[in-house]
Amino acid sequence: MVLQVLVVAAGAPLLVGLMRQVRARLEGRAGAGVRQPWRDLRKLARKEPIAPHGTGYLFRAAPPLLAGTTLVVAAAVPLVTAASPLDGVADLFAVAALLALGSVALALGGLDTGTAFGGMGASREMTVLALVEPTILLAVFALSIRVGTTDLGAIVTETANSPLSVISPVSLLAAVALAVVTIAESGRIPVDNPSTHLELTMIHEAMILEYAGPDLALIEWASAMRLTVMLGLFAGLFAPVGIATAGAGPIMLLVAVVAFALKVALLGGVLAAGEVFMAKLRLFRIPELLAGSFLMALLAVAASFFLA
Amino acid sequence: MILYACALGLCLAAALLALLPPRAITVMAEVITALAGVVAAVAGVRATLGHGWSAWLPGLLPLGGLRLALDPLGGLFTAITGAVTVCAAIHGIGSGAARPARAVMPLFVAALLLVPAADSVSTFLFGWELMAMTSLLLVAAEHRDRPSVRKAALWYAVMTHLGLVTIMCGLCYLAAGATGDGFDQLRAAELSPAARDVIFLATLAGFAAKAGIVPLHVWLPRAYPAAPGHVSPLMSGAMVNMGVYGVVRVGLDLLRGGPVWWWWIVLALGALSALYGVLHAAMATDLKRLLGYSSTENMGLVLIGVGAAGFFAADGAGPLAALALTAALLHVVNHAAFKTLLFQAAGSVQRATGTRDLDALGGLRTRMPYTTALFAVGALCASALPPGNGFVSEWLLLQSLIHALPASGVAGAVTMPLAVGAIALTAGLAVATFVKAFGVGFLARPRSPGAERAVESPRTAVCGTALAAAACLLLALDPALVLPALTEAVTRVIPAGRPVTGEVTLRLSAITGSISPVLIALALAGAVAAVLSLVRVVAARRPRRPARLWDCGAGPVSARMEYTATSFAEPLQRVFVDALQPESAIDVTAVKESAYLVQRVRFRARVPDRVERRLYEPVLAAAERLGTQARRLADGSVHRYLSYGFYALTGVLIVLAVIS
Amino acid sequence: MTDPVYVQALDLACGAFLLTGVLVLWRRDLAAIIWLFGLQGVALGALIAVRGLHEADVELTVLGLGVGLLRAVLLPYLMRRALAAGEEGREARPHVSVAASLLVTAVLTMLAYAVSQPLVRLAPTPATQAVPIALTVLLVGFFVLVTRRRALSQVVGFLLMDNAITAAAFLTTTGVPLVVELGVSLDVLLAVLALQVLTTRMRAAFGGTDLDELRELHD
Repeated sequence: MVLQVLVVAAGAPLLVGLMRQVRARLEGRAGAGVRQPWRDLRKLARKEPIAPHGTGYLFRAAPPLLAGTTLVVAAAVPLVTAASPLDGVADLFAVAALLALGSVALALGGLDTGTAFGGMGASREMTVLALVEPTILLAVFALSIRVGTTDLGAIVTETANSPLSVISPVSLLAAVALAVVTIAESGRIPVDNPSTHLELTMIHEAMILEYAGPDLALIEWASAMRLTVMLGLFAGLFAPVGIATAGAGPIMLLVAVVAFALKVALLGGVLAAGEVFMAKLRLFRIPELLAGSFLMALLAVAASFFLA
Repeated sequence: MILYACALGLCLAAALLALLPPRAITVMAEVITALAGVVAAVAGVRATLGHGWSAWLPGLLPLGGLRLALDPLGGLFTAITGAVTVCAAIHGIGSGAARPARAVMPLFVAALLLVPAADSVSTFLFGWELMAMTSLLLVAAEHRDRPSVRKAALWYAVMTHLGLVTIMCGLCYLAAGATGDGFDQLRAAELSPAARDVIFLATLAGFAAKAGIVPLHVWLPRAYPAAPGHVSPLMSGAMVNMGVYGVVRVGLDLLRGGPVWWWWIVLALGALSALYGVLHAAMATDLKRLLGYSSTENMGLVLIGVGAAGFFAADGAGPLAALALTAALLHVVNHAAFKTLLFQAAGSVQRATGTRDLDALGGLRTRMPYTTALFAVGALCASALPPGNGFVSEWLLLQSLIHALPASGVAGAVTMPLAVGAIALTAGLAVATFVKAFGVGFLARPRSPGAERAVESPRTAVCGTALAAAACLLLALDPALVLPALTEAVTRVIPAGRPVTGEVTLRLSAITGSISPVLIALALAGAVAAVLSLVRVVAARRPRRPARLWDCGAGPVSARMEYTATSFAEPLQRVFVDALQPESAIDVTAVKESAYLVQRVRFRARVPDRVERRLYEPVLAAAERLGTQARRLADGSVHRYLSYGFYALTGVLIVLAVIS
Repeated sequence: MTDPVYVQALDLACGAFLLTGVLVLWRRDLAAIIWLFGLQGVALGALIAVRGLHEADVELTVLGLGVGLLRAVLLPYLMRRALAAGEEGREARPHVSVAASLLVTAVLTMLAYAVSQPLVRLAPTPATQAVPIALTVLLVGFFVLVTRRRALSQVVGFLLMDNAITAAAFLTTTGVPLVVELGVSLDVLLAVLALQVLTTRMRAAFGGTDLDELRELHD
């Protein structure tokens, strides 16, 4: 588990760097290199911490809380190994709720500044969160039917034992739904644009506008980890190839780490490539997208009785 | 038994004391009420642990006499009432409420204790009516200061008494079919299915009205803001639970369950209430109105659990039914804890700032630090996120619903996914609601002079609120503490063993699933500590430099630039525009000389309660028309009035003569 | 074809059939809708062909290929021509908003499942268990007919219903006789051609194909 958290913590900025590099190449630019996010983080961490006027302890508590929830999720989710000590402590519902807790902390931090940007970002983030939640829970429902439990380790182990069972309408529909949710939760195009600084289009960036220095570094790092964990979870649920089971030796673990890195890099690359060809949706068209993903999740549940 | 009698006696003593003139003694009234709460809580807990009792006092009431019994189910609700009373009474010390209100409050508590302990129809109805009357007096207590209170009290009086009438009809019909009005005799009654259907539906309507279930919820968002600060916790934490108690007692215990469609109705009502309540809570800007709608939401979630329990029980899936009912009752306990906390904090805010309008609050973090921190705990619990207590009960509820498939047929397969979807949407919107309530109400800068002048509440108020917060945290970290009591209460109506086992990690016995709230909280704390130490090691160790906020270069950021609660909820309002149908009006006043020069623009927007608008207003308008017409019958002549009586009497006699 | 592979292939075909049907509601772009309809034709053809292969019935397999060709290639081609002829490319304002219609579809799915249970119980085979899917697509097609404004969307709605009826027929029985299926297919083709002629005439007369404007003819 420690290994898994370390891999996520160290690899997350690299994933973001990779995605930026893919985008840059596809847009005909040279790109800053895969390690640029790490260099950014180092630069930010060395800067002076800032306390904007009128902000209080919640503003300061939000970044560590966000990073903390993400670390717990990284430990609880079967990314590298299906046998985590947090197995049985936190299931898929708890993971979804912990991710939401991180978003809430950040939204409160945004509201605490008292600027229009902070409030706007918090309001939009909460709207998206409220609409994403039903899809997540229904997708969880659909995935848990086959296994009979919402325990993540059990779901992944079961899928790893019979990899062909993934090619079923239930899994495919749930995969589509979860993919939309992953994009929405991690704030990528078409729901949010991570590189925008235009007031009208910002969601995530508006909330963290007042953060600077080490605080900002923490948030950037945590956001990268969230993206990694969610892509890793997606890969683990639908293609659990290479995930180590309980009692695996060091070689198996190494293989699992490599497999995890490859899967997440592949998903990240596809996501980045997709972003190049897509425009951000209007904020008020997002509910349509999320309603669609909700329907997919519901159909996944329904299909599991239709075709059972 | 003795403890329970002590609690009732203490309540009466407190009521008498409050009427005495010296100020020092009236403070004692609250202390004694708190004491009564402690005693009642202990009595309730003892009853849930198997020390039940029953008593018959034939002389105290006409007809059947007072018949009391405390079984685990009633004990659970007694214990909740007692615990809420303790917090509310401590919070109320020195609240400066008017003397009549302070005298009625202990009586209200006594009525709340009487209802779950009633063991016969007459005792139950007596307690229910006493509860309705005393709560009505409390709601109307401040009618001289605020005109809106009068209207709220009227709504409350009508709704609660209509509820009483339907419950009375249902229970009397049931008693007529049995050999007597004791609950034991009712359980043994042999009734036709049609009669059982009528009884269940009639009582369900009354109990749903008390629990604030859509479409009978209209009194709730009015009555809570109207009630004095220390009464609304008691109403939302203890009184609305009685609706749930009634449904469980009559539906699952006295009628011993029923056909699937009963429970389908309960489930549908619950899902509807949860969604409707949380949507309006998300839109509300009045803090207490928001909390009132949130009560509707949470009672909806509880009814989903109760409905699912009845559903599974009717399908023969005992363990699942027990799990669903446990989840529902745990949510009742959790809701009582966090809603007491939130209402007390809201009462403190109202006293300190003079307003409940979120658009006028803000900046209380520095002015009322304790209340802010306590409200944060309540908001976390109410938004069902870990490590709050609401998360545990919603988790149990979801587990019971998603494992329903093998057990139930077509109806379950169709209902359960929709119910899960409804709960999930409710959970998401609840998060947005409480981020709004806390973030806009307490953080950033004050938006009005009232909020600017706010000071921390008196120590007793903070203590009462802190007590509720401690209960929330205890329930959040160690729900296993109350599980034995819940199991006893559930076994009373659905005997199916222990649905949830384990101390640190909760394990479900019928299905595979486990969660550990303590370990999640510990892991979270550990992770945050790790992150903080990492920051200390890596980052520059320099003091924080104060800096200006980003104001787009347009001068200092003022409170008018802040996002308000209305603007926070606007995206959600747009998303759910079909369901909410908000109203807005724009008046543009032009300068006299030219129609193109605008002098003033006025914009008004509000989100009316659509059920009230569509369902109640036509009925009210019809009643008013009827009343206007009926006024012609009363023209002031005494002879005419007397003649009405005479005609009516002779008419009845003639009818009787013809029939016989 | 072995049994597990047959069930999995059949389920996949049915899943794709349902998914494409539902996605028609999601997209506003008429070109994308036609494309989705073509994909649904492929799924339908595959469904019939899978059944044919399973029962080693050459006629059924060939029929599947034929149905696939007609619905995945010919009909979309005709509609694309109508679109290219100047139809406005978007379903701009449907009568029921996209998000709401998706939620309605969720309810319709549950309804379809509930009402088709007696049918499934008659002969619970993997094929009949997929009948609710056909029924769902039928309801979705009807819903498209009710709520969408553009003439081309109406055509797609009609064809969705036809696809669903065909799918239901092949799922419940071992197949309708070749002649009947040919006749039905020709009927559909004829209907599409007639509708295409009609839309062309409408556009010539009114300059658009918003069906609401047809109300004016009533007076």
